[in-house]
Amino acid sequence: MPDIALSAENLTKVIGKKTIVDSASFQVHEGEVYGFLGPNGAGKTTTIRMLVGLIKPTSGSVEIFGYDVRREFEKAMRCIGCIVENPDLYRFMTGRENLEHFARMLGVGNGEIERVAALVNMDHRLEQRVGTYSLGMRQRLGIAQAMLGKPRLLILDEPANGLDPAGIREIRELLRHLAEEQGLAVFVSSHLLAEIELMADRVAIIHKGKILREGPVRDLISSQRSMEFKVGDVGRAVDVLRALGVAATADHDRVFALVEEADTPPILAALTGQGIDVFHARQRVHTLEEMFLEATGGETVD
Amino acid sequence: MINLVQNETLKILRRRRFMVVVGILFVILSIVSYSQVEKLNRSRDQNWRADLQERIARYENWVRRARANEAWVRSARTEIKRLQFYLDRDINPEAPTVPLVVRVFANAAGWLLPLLVAVIGSDIVSAENAEGTDKLLLTRPVRRWKILTAKLITLLMFATITLVVGAAMAWIVTVPFLPARGWDMPMFNGFQMTGDVVKLESIRQLPLWKDALIAYGLEWYALLAVAAVSLLLSVIFKSSAASIGTMLASLIGGTILTRISPDWTAGKYFFVSAIPLSDYYSGAAPPYEGMTMTFCIGLLAVWAVGAVVTAFVIFTRRDVFG
Repeated sequence: MPDIALSAENLTKVIGKKTIVDSASFQVHEGEVYGFLGPNGAGKTTTIRMLVGLIKPTSGSVEIFGYDVRREFEKAMRCIGCIVENPDLYRFMTGRENLEHFARMLGVGNGEIERVAALVNMDHRLEQRVGTYSLGMRQRLGIAQAMLGKPRLLILDEPANGLDPAGIREIRELLRHLAEEQGLAVFVSSHLLAEIELMADRVAIIHKGKILREGPVRDLISSQRSMEFKVGDVGRAVDVLRALGVAATADHDRVFALVEEADTPPILAALTGQGIDVFHARQRVHTLEEMFLEATGGETVD
Repeated sequence: MINLVQNETLKILRRRRFMVVVGILFVILSIVSYSQVEKLNRSRDQNWRADLQERIARYENWVRRARANEAWVRSARTEIKRLQFYLDRDINPEAPTVPLVVRVFANAAGWLLPLLVAVIGSDIVSAENAEGTDKLLLTRPVRRWKILTAKLITLLMFATITLVVGAAMAWIVTVPFLPARGWDMPMFNGFQMTGDVVKLESIRQLPLWKDALIAYGLEWYALLAVAAVSLLLSVIFKSSAASIGTMLASLIGGTILTRISPDWTAGKYFFVSAIPLSDYYSGAAPPYEGMTMTFCIGLLAVWAVGAVVTAFVIFTRRDVFG
């Protein structure tokens, strides 16, 4: 069993009378990419700020490789590299000066700067002022900065923001590489469901401060596999399916049944055997997006 | 800690604000230098004794007419006695020389440098907040109190440098034009009034260089207090504009307040009243009764320590939101 990199225990933040984050608990292991999914205003950033010690939780605790973030701040932070919200760096300094600034805070040498710059392919832009960078470049510099001092846990808030599709793929491959080859734990927040689906091993879905679901991405998707049938008589079709012990619901001229594709032929036979016209049958793989809509009761996802 | 101070120093220099401050000092001192040279040229064919007498007469005239404002009358009376003192001893207190310009700058610095230090100091924390860089700064394995200590040290350092640069520049811009000697010229200080009489026994005679060192020392002390207060404002406000604005308004507003409403005696507990320490040392009357040198130094100490303690408490405890 890999080590637990990050453990949040009943994390709660109440501001005034409003509960921003409501007893969120989760664990991130070494060697995995953990997706933190939710719409804007769901409490993602507040949670991340509590993870990295910027905000004091109202109750609950955060441990990073066993170090309590509040009591052993320095030890905990030495294990972390992070970007919170935007990759805000000192715009009036060059990329190199920014990296040197944070390297000095960690007490690591200049060799580290070359290493992290090469990691995100931006050695050639280091001498320019950050103010002249595009958002994508700043995102890369932010990740380079987060990699200084070889952290064992990366916490990245919306790392795909501002990147073009090629850049997003590059970051995704980099993060997967770091998790798989170097055994890092990577915590990535996003409101882009497709991104998390492609990148994460496990995912937590947060909405209105509460974690609605948590689990391996593959499980969450395969557990929701169903078939869609377009039939002539919807009402009778549902009865037939239920008689076969298959959960089914009707929607206009369609019937949805929770059944694997492999088990479809006998169902089709039963339907046509009862004289019900079947116009088509197709497999539906619920994406995280649909899952999310279902879990949150269909509220707007940004 | 050295690493952290190095970081903060680099940030101030890269922001170029300090260079603007040095530029402002240069321009102002060039103008001072120019006017002193003009004065020197004029004084060659003018009798300085007549000049002093004329000024005394003007002040006396003014005191007789302007009864309304107690504080102004008091400071005018002090000035009259001071000028008379030099006249009686046949010393020209204002023959322009380089040392004298450098010495006089210590007094001018009491009004000018707090503004410049405030400009540097008031955004040392708030700029990180406004630019969002605090999120990175405060998630590195360095405790918050260490970061604020580094910022405070850097700020005190820059306050010191500003004063030294100012003094050095006063020398540099005048030395090509004015006589450079005269560091041992006698200076008279400590004109105190008891009623309408100057207490002669409290007057000190010092060589100019010693007098200048004391004046600069006092001004340095006042600047450190200004730096401490601007650190607090910089912690309280989230935007640089708000903190710089508030600090400058306090400095300028406070100064104006001491001039226009000396009856509001609570003003003497406001730190701004005590900032022109070297001015008071040179004999300018403080705006409120009972503002002795000890009172001013104590007042600044209380404000500075209070501001720093408050800044640390807020900074180390608060939640950092976007």
